[in-house]
Amino acid sequence: MTDLILILAIFLALFGGIAALVVRSAFDKLICLGILTAGAVLFLVEKGYLDAAIVVSLLMPVGTIFILLLLGKKREAAK
Amino acid sequence: MIVEGICVVIAVYCAVRAVFEPKTLKKLPYLNVMNFAVAGTIVLLIPHPITVFAAIAYFIGSTLESNAIASTFAQLEGE
Repeated sequence: MTDLILILAIFLALFGGIAALVVRSAFDKLICLGILTAGAVLFLVEKGYLDAAIVVSLLMPVGTIFILLLLGKKREAAK
Repeated sequence: MIVEGICVVIAVYCAVRAVFEPKTLKKLPYLNVMNFAVAGTIVLLIPHPITVFAAIAYFIGSTLESNAIASTFAQLEGE
């Protein structure tokens, strides 16, 4: 059962990364990066590194908000 | 052990559903469901008192991220 959770966390991270490579729109890429981070945090918690999981969870939206601040100036990014 | 498995399976299903959804604004509810499922999995996974803080940090960070994406997208769409 623990192996199932580990395998699904790895699948979540890999699926988010590959989808972020393939998808065209910028906002969809950010959503796929959110999926990647969910898989990474689940993997960290499964392995027992709770402090690293807390830091990753709190620093993930900072990078996304900086990207969104740059992205909000471009009109064609919403397509 | 069954409950964590159900939570992770819901998270993976919603991640796949969010990636294959064509419209960006319809991706965001599935992203929220995936974030809730991952936060529940973090609490249930290992018996340690710091898991509560890890889950709180992940919940706050992921909600902030998805709401920032939604508000920037709506602002660009409205202009």
